[in-house]
Amino acid sequence: MRNIKNKTVLVKVPLADYDLDTVRYAAHAVSRAAHVFIKLDGRSAAAVEFTPTGPVSGKAVAASFRAELADEKLRAAIYAANRELRDFMILKALSKEETPPQAPQDDSGLTPEQEKELDALIAQVESEIKQEASAGASKDPLGITRTWEDKYGAKKSRKKN
Amino acid sequence: MALKKAAKKTSAAAVPPQLLWKRDGADFLVTNDFGHYSWLKKKDFDSLLACKVGESHPLFAALSAKGFVRDRLDFDGLAAKWRKKNAYLNTGPGLHILVLTLRCNHKCLYCQAAAGGAAAKDTDMTPATARKCVDFAFNSSNPGITIEFQGGEPLLNWPALTAAVKHARARAKTAGKELKLALVSNFSLMTEEKARFLMENEVSVCTSLDGPADLHNKNRCFSGGNSHAVTLKWLKYFQKKNEAQADGYRVFKPSALLTVSRYSLSRHKEIIDEYVAAGLEDIFIRPLAPIGYARNLWGSIGYEAKDFAAFYLKSLAYILKLNRSGVVIREKMAAMMLDKIVNSRDPGYLDARCPCGAAIGQIAYNYNGDLYTCDEGRMVGWEGDDVFKVGSVFKDSYAKVMASAPTRACVVSSNLEAQPDCARCVYKPYCGVCPVYNYEVQGSLWGDMSSSDRCGLFKGIFGALFALLKKPGNEATLKKWVDK
Repeated sequence: MRNIKNKTVLVKVPLADYDLDTVRYAAHAVSRAAHVFIKLDGRSAAAVEFTPTGPVSGKAVAASFRAELADEKLRAAIYAANRELRDFMILKALSKEETPPQAPQDDSGLTPEQEKELDALIAQVESEIKQEASAGASKDPLGITRTWEDKYGAKKSRKKN
Repeated sequence: MALKKAAKKTSAAAVPPQLLWKRDGADFLVTNDFGHYSWLKKKDFDSLLACKVGESHPLFAALSAKGFVRDRLDFDGLAAKWRKKNAYLNTGPGLHILVLTLRCNHKCLYCQAAAGGAAAKDTDMTPATARKCVDFAFNSSNPGITIEFQGGEPLLNWPALTAAVKHARARAKTAGKELKLALVSNFSLMTEEKARFLMENEVSVCTSLDGPADLHNKNRCFSGGNSHAVTLKWLKYFQKKNEAQADGYRVFKPSALLTVSRYSLSRHKEIIDEYVAAGLEDIFIRPLAPIGYARNLWGSIGYEAKDFAAFYLKSLAYILKLNRSGVVIREKMAAMMLDKIVNSRDPGYLDARCPCGAAIGQIAYNYNGDLYTCDEGRMVGWEGDDVFKVGSVFKDSYAKVMASAPTRACVVSSNLEAQPDCARCVYKPYCGVCPVYNYEVQGSLWGDMSSSDRCGLFKGIFGALFALLKKPGNEATLKKWVDK
């Protein structure tokens, strides 16, 4: 770190330790207190100049910048490692139904009027059955209600020739 | 040391899940996408970064429940939390601001509304336009809409106000939407008859109260009389009506807004005492913005972000002191931010959303039916720059307005993930930027947060709130503010 023209402070950052994006974001974080100028210093370093715009000294701005560099490198690593997880979580949040799923209801496919009509028909049939039962109609003279087995006995197995 | 070690790790399993942090002395405040936060000591923060918060760690249960421990993430629970916090993304504009007139009978020092003189009737909204605006508002995909009547002074255009109220109530009966109506007025033209109409139609009322009489009247110049006295008279009137209620309709509690000018900075106690004496339970401490008329007078009434932050902090401390002695009052901005921090709820504060509420959360309807992203955008338009104009109720469909270039530009530029400072800020889960402010003050929709006074203000407010939440005594009181 060295002073240029009294106010401006220069910090060199090795690009092997911090990439340019990290340098840029760290510099941005302190840009409230100073004008910042970033340029390449050869191939292996970034030269960052701070010219204070207020009461904070260039030295203090440079110190804040160095602290931000370490934080920013970690932030970048955490962002990169969590990218897919964040995408997954936000997609999950956005795609989920707004309301909890309700218990499935019977859907007969009928309109309310048709449902009403059907209920009336069922009630009518039930009442007719009751009337017939009470009138002795359940004697079943033709044996319609009897099963095949009742009438003719259990099925006999055939022998194969 | 732990920072360097963690930064060297490359595999996903070796780093903690997404988190943001800020050093505060010896402690660290950490937050995450789900709105959870935690105060950590340095050694615990280092353990978190090194993924060494195991089951035997004293903070394991708390940090796991908040989504800070990678192999203990409750995907369903955290996704539900995120969804609740960002519920507004699925709705559409809920706030519809009808500027019924640009005329005003006050000449406030900080006016942003570009108000005209009381005689300039060419800036009145016609009743037909008011009804057209209401129809447009009902096109919103939001199941609940609020129509807010503003100005100028909206009571100067009573015919348009009554037309809009009646039409909105009629539309609500068939539209299947929840409708709220609100009036923002200085009350100077209020009468018993107007008040009755407002109450019968369930229109809530909000006014401005800047503190004791001398301060209020200095900020809010009114040639027609004593602005402070008129404001208090009608505040008490609506409070009494609220207490008594009525058959057949609800009477809402009146509310008031405080705008902090340079003259207010040394008088926080008097201002809060004035609110308490007026029977108000909320005080909304709002900073000045160098927009509109205030920009011209910024040299005499404006201040730096740090001055407001100091005022705000003193005010909060005094309010908490009053709370401890049994006085019921809370600060509205803090309450809204706390709702986000403590309850992961969106309180409907459109200025602090991501993306901001411009067009997708609110629409401002100018007196002539022109549509703007928000009321601040409308004011920029009045200064001759229609960059925030999104359409007209007479020419454009709702779909066209939502897909307009200004709408999209505001959404993109207020996405905090794309703002270099905000994406890394510990307060990101609760904050929002304002493209109109950026445009007016810094000359671009994106702005530069590192040199933005608005950003400085918000950071000051969040800093104050988190510092208060750190102390158990304060935490309990503050949580009561948002426990409903």
